Order: sequence, then C-alpha cells, then structure tokens
Amino acid sequence: MGELTQAIREHAARLLQEGRVDVVIGFKTGTVPLRAQPAFITEPEQAAELVHNSFCQNNLASYLTRRPDTERIGIICRGCESRAVHVLVSEHQHDREGLYVIGVPCAGIIDRHKIERQGELDLETVEVWEEGEEVIVALDDGEQRYARAEVLDDACLRCAHPQPTDADLLLADLPDNGASVDRWAAVDAFESLPPAERFARFAQEAERCIRCYACREACPTCYCTECFVDHNNPRWCESMVTAGGTHAWHVIRAFHQAGRCVSCGACERACPMEIKMTYLTDKLNYDMAQQYGFEPGMSDDATPPFAAFTLDDADRFVR
Amino acid sequence: MHKIVTKKGLPTLIEAWQRQAVVYAPVHNGGIPEFQRLGRGTQAALYLRGNTRYPPKSLFISQSETMFYAQGTALEQVPLPTAPRVILGVRACDARATQLLDGVFGTDSSDPSWVRKRERTALVGLGCTKPGATCFCSAVGSGPFDARGVDVMLTDLGDAYLAEVQTDEGETLLEGMPVATQAQVEAAHQLQEAAASSMEIPFETEGIRDVLYGLFSSSFWYEVQQSCLGCGVCTFLCPTCHCFDIVDEVQRRERVRNWDSCMFRIYSQEASGYNPRPTNVERTRQRIMHKYAYFVENHGEIGCTGCGRCVRNCPVDLDIRQVIRDARSWAEE
Repeated sequence: MGELTQAIREHAARLLQEGRVDVVIGFKTGTVPLRAQPAFITEPEQAAELVHNSFCQNNLASYLTRRPDTERIGIICRGCESRAVHVLVSEHQHDREGLYVIGVPCAGIIDRHKIERQGELDLETVEVWEEGEEVIVALDDGEQRYARAEVLDDACLRCAHPQPTDADLLLADLPDNGASVDRWAAVDAFESLPPAERFARFAQEAERCIRCYACREACPTCYCTECFVDHNNPRWCESMVTAGGTHAWHVIRAFHQAGRCVSCGACERACPMEIKMTYLTDKLNYDMAQQYGFEPGMSDDATPPFAAFTLDDADRFVR
Repeated sequence: MHKIVTKKGLPTLIEAWQRQAVVYAPVHNGGIPEFQRLGRGTQAALYLRGNTRYPPKSLFISQSETMFYAQGTALEQVPLPTAPRVILGVRACDARATQLLDGVFGTDSSDPSWVRKRERTALVGLGCTKPGATCFCSAVGSGPFDARGVDVMLTDLGDAYLAEVQTDEGETLLEGMPVATQAQVEAAHQLQEAAASSMEIPFETEGIRDVLYGLFSSSFWYEVQQSCLGCGVCTFLCPTCHCFDIVDEVQRRERVRNWDSCMFRIYSQEASGYNPRPTNVERTRQRIMHKYAYFVENHGEIGCTGCGRCVRNCPVDLDIRQVIRDARSWAEE
C-alpha cells in the first residue's frame, strides 16, 4: 500500500469520526485489473477500503450532483476533480460549505484501452501494477512493461494543472507543470487540417457513437435534469445512430461545455467505442483562454464568460 | 457428424458460402474488433481471443431500424430482407443470447423482422478455448462450447477447426468437407473440457430469482447503485438486452425504432410527467432483476449469458457478478 493511500484512509476515517462529513467519496480496488471503483464511505472503519492509484479513471466530482442535497461530502480530488468542484460551486450546484476537498497529487491516469486492447486480441491482463515510471502488466502468458507516458490518458498528457486548487487539505505537493506541457497540441493538429479532412476526422469519430451517453454521464459538468438530446417535443436532434444523429450529439454536447470543461478526459475514458472528443472541448477552452483569458474551474467565484451578463451591457457588438 | 475445416481451406469455404449468402464475421482493422460483412479485402479475424465489443444482436435488431416510410398519406413498408446470411465466429454466449431472444421476438406476438432474419441466418459458432477473465457463461447455465443456438460449432485445433454439425443447415454449409478423425475429435474434446474447467464460477444461481424478489424493497439497491452513472453502456453492449423505443422522425418521414435502455431516466418517463422509476435505484434494480428474476419468471431461464461485456466496459466497474454475489450475502444477513 502506498503512502498516499495510507494518508487518504487516515484522513477519511478522521473526518467521519469527527463528524465533519457524512460521506467520503474516493476509490476502492476494482473487480478486474486496470480498474478502480468509486467508493462511498460513511463509516470510519470502511475507510480502509480506500485506495488511490493511476487506475482511478473517473472524475469523482460527477457524483456531487447525484448525492442528496443535505449531505456533507468529503471528496478526494486530483487537479481536474478540484476544478470540476469549483465549476459546480460557481454554478450553484453545491454549497462550498457542504464540501470538504481532500487534495491529492496526480501522476496522471492510465488509459486502460491502451493496455486492454491486447486482451481482446490475444492475451488477458491478469494483474497490473506501477513501479515508478513503469507500468507492469502480467498477462496470462508473459509480462509486458510500458513506460508510463506510453499508456497515460491523452487528457493527462496535456494536463497543465495536476495540482488541486483551493483544497481544504492537501496531502502532498506536486509542482504545477503548466509551462512544460503542450496543452493545445491536439487542437493545433486538428485546426491545421483542411476543412474537408477536419470534417472527415470528426465524422469518423462521431459516427462510431452508440448513443449510450456514457460521455455525458461521466462528465462532472453535464448535470442537466433533462439533456437536450432527451427532449422529445420538440426534438432537437435526430434520435438515431445515423450521421445526422451522432454528429448533432457530439457538436452540441461540446458547445454546452464552452467555458465549463475542466479537461479531465473522463468522457473519453468512459466511451465504450473509444471515440475521441476532447479535441472539441479543448478547442473551446483554447478560445476561452485566447479571447477571454479564462480558464474553467480555477476558483469558486469565477463566472464563465458565457454565463456572465450585466444590466448596463451596451451590446456594442450588435450591429 | 464431425468435419474438419483447415485454416488454409477456410477462405475457400467462405467464398463458397458467399455465392449463396452474405457472410458476416468478426473483423479487426486495427480499431475495435466488430462483426462486419465480409467482402473483398476483409478477412474473418477468428484469431481474436475475445468477443467483439459491440454485440452481434445488431445483425438481428439493428440499433436504429426504419419500420416504415410515409409517402404523402400512404405508408410504405420496409421490405423484409430476403438474402440468406451466415454469421461466422459467433461465440457461445452470443448464440445463446439470440436463442433467448427468440423467446421474446419469435413467439406468439412475433416480430416479422426478427423472425425473417433468424430464418435466413445460419450461425457458425466458434468455441472459446481461452475464456477471458470477465467471462462467466458457465455460471449461468451455459459454457464456452455451448452449441445450443448454432448450426455448427468450431473448435480451434491450431491449424484446423473441428466442425461439430448441429443442424441440417449446418450440414449443408459443410458439404464436401472431410470427416474428422477420431484423434481430432478427441483433441477437440480435451480442449473443450480444459476451457470449461479453467473458468471460475463467480456466483451460484440456485434460487436467485427468489433471493432478488426478497430484496425488492431493500436498501441493497441504494448501496449497489451509488457508483452507477446511469449511462447505457451495459444495456447497449448486452447481447440479451432488447428494449427499443419507437420514434417518428418527422423530417425523415420515417418511423424508426432505436435501442433503448432501462438505465435512462426517460425510458420510464410517462407522457404525464410521472416516472414510475424516478431514481437510479429503481432503474438499477430493474436491470438486474430483469435478467435474474423476471426473465426466469417469463421464460424459465436466466436472461444473462455471461459474455462479460457489461463487466469489461462499465465506466465505473460496476460488476454484475459482484452484484449477484452481494445480493446473496445481503439476503443471508
């Protein structure tokens, strides 16, 4: 057991013991290799179930809007999860007072699809563990070693702020690597393509969609009670898995994230068809940064540019 | 009757089938392996160890299916398919699922499209010599070489397949293939037994229906569903989930049916606004109980074939094997 897991267990047990929170949301060991399960700990003695490693693929902040309003929640947060918490607080989805943010360092999430594919083709993963910068996969016939960067989730490779912001408790320090990563590489690569190729790339991804909405449900900032796609009178987009239906879903889903996406990549990790979609939300984030100097989720009181209005707005942009 | 199909000879056999029928098989083009129509340049990827991620049920009830077109005030029926089909490389769990769904679509109030596609389709099964870690067919009354529902069951012998003929249709498909030797049959049976005994039984199914009925109003379901995101991965990838929603696509002038999922909030939302399954608790209970209680009630069999897709692909690792195990221990307490 790692030091971090140990610290998480101790603090979770303490917070429950002291009555500071009603539940601690973290992760526990999964039933299959490469996986972890979100865990909801309500008794101090259950805290021993908590673990933390690079296989914790979900954004735990997505549970905040699913829990009872009255519950006081302790939540284990990496950088992206803390940003999602700030977005939810700034959008009045949760009172900050009812939350206790336990910040943890993050070395990135391992994209299980990069490893798991092997199991569908040939060899099954029996066990997997991390040794420093290496990920070791025991297969039912042999062993495979990966450098962490090879199997890291794309969103984590582009992550500028793995360090949690504004946590109530920070379990370890990690340098912010904002300056050292190329955040917009995927956006630049996509934008440099001629329009026809861009569309072809988009269509190739979107048309694999089976409309299970795992991307929406895994997203901490997708919390509408009724999603536009579920509205049936009038219907906003085609219901089918046709090009019309899947294109509309992917474009509109992304646009609803303008100034709100925390770039955690939970949508792509949840997708059973391995559809790339963060290049769309990253582009919106790029525009937010360039045009408004805004980055989603950096504090509790920042209003996203598209959610801001003033009564004396002169509307000078209208001609 | 046991026949032998060499791996070298398989493409020729497939070509022979293609003269009469459209042939589908798992195809791997570098992405996610899936069932595709074999044509020029697409090869059957029977070497794949695991199952396709997207279930072949889509070949019988496609995810979005047009029921009829509106032409002015007239309605134009979509003609039922006529071409015979062969689906090669179907795993036992998926073939079994198709058979279970015959009980839903193929009986009293039969579904013309389903029945027609079933009539015109031969299934050539491929047994699993190396079942995966998330497979549990043998726990739900089946097994890696369960031949119910297939016309032929193949066993991979290395350089050839032993083909166990199950039906007259299967016999026709293998016409002209050499008869297997006793040694080949024995070798195949050894592989089959080794595969079956390599599988762990993750839970007992004895009396599971009554265990779940007993838990119907229990807080068990609240506990189980806490991590569930309410997406449709488990149900859409499930080979036995078969719910659909009928939609009038007015702009296309079509009435279509799309797969639907009991895990979606709007699935049970009524026109009045009332929702009899208002939270994820009732919806999770519905999914599990449909397979392990209601299906047993209605069809006398468990409505899960243990393919493991829901286990493998759930975004939060909500493992149905664990749910059934936990239900049992919860009921005992």
